[in-house]
Amino acid sequence: MSLSPASGIGRFYKHSAKIIRFVRLGCTNRPFYHIVVMERRKNQHQPVIEQVGSYDPLPNDFNERLVALNTERIRFWLGKGAHISDPAAELLGVAGLLPIHPRTYMTAWRNRRKLAEEQAEAAAAGQAESASASA
Amino acid sequence: MLRAGCQLLTQSTLPAVKTGSNGFALEFVRWRRKPRWLPVAKSKIFRVPERKKQTEEERTELMRLHNRYKTQLRSVRQYLREEVVRHEETSTVDHIVLTPEQEEAEYQALIAANAEWNATIAREREQRLAKERDEKVAYVHERLEARQLRDEERRERANEAVLREIERSKTYITREGLNAAIETALANPVDPNFAIDMAGNLYQGRTTSQLPDADPQPDQQALSN
Repeated sequence: MSLSPASGIGRFYKHSAKIIRFVRLGCTNRPFYHIVVMERRKNQHQPVIEQVGSYDPLPNDFNERLVALNTERIRFWLGKGAHISDPAAELLGVAGLLPIHPRTYMTAWRNRRKLAEEQAEAAAAGQAESASASA
Repeated sequence: MLRAGCQLLTQSTLPAVKTGSNGFALEFVRWRRKPRWLPVAKSKIFRVPERKKQTEEERTELMRLHNRYKTQLRSVRQYLREEVVRHEETSTVDHIVLTPEQEEAEYQALIAANAEWNATIAREREQRLAKERDEKVAYVHERLEARQLRDEERRERANEAVLREIERSKTYITREGLNAAIETALANPVDPNFAIDMAGNLYQGRTTSQLPDADPQPDQQALSN
């Protein structure tokens, strides 16, 4: 399917459920997302109602992951009662528009725990090495 | 769409897919999922996916966070809903509110601006047209002078030609002098033939030849030529 314009040509019913979510563009091993408003029941590659941002999850040369958000329109659509998908909610939470999503906290403490375990393992391995070297 | 195209391609090679071997060299690397209608692989039939372990502590913490998040999000949503309603009430984006007097004043202001603009453009146009007119007049004068000069030259050339003809007409053979001219021509035959010998001597004439003479009169003019 050809790329639909970001200005939005998606048709929608007045009272249908809308959702703010990602559309995966890019290609294999190179994700890129548009943050769009569209009807909840539709496939992600259908024409959108409106594009409200973009998200590049891979860090660039300066170790930045770029996000662009049209906060005015996001506020409008949320006020109109649009739903939010979980990844979009996480991103908006980190961006400061919404409260921080619980999954963000979860990922953070899991990462911390993993890091601590790795460090402990490394320390143990270092101790064992030094012990064997002294013996 | 690409996936659909892939399916179309694979349908023709369905037995090959079932047996797991590819009949011909075409193999898609990018979308090589097993089709949905194929059964679970034999090696995976009795595999029980392992549940992610979640400690009690983590679960209660997540529950607490989710409750808090939902409460906060509800209030944020409430705020945004009110904001949208407020904006719709106060906004004049899609309906313009103006009294007839204001409309009239705006109309007059626009008319005045338009008239001013027209006047400016008219002034510029006048200047431009005057300049163009002057240029045109100068051009026409230049061309007229050039034509006058040309005509004079032509007349002079014609005069010269006429004078030349008058000068030549003095030697014309007229009807009265015709007999005399014929007699003169008969009395003085001219023979343009000539011969040249190895030494480059020129012998004029054929019938009016001077050959019988022991001493031919070679014309040294041929050598000089």
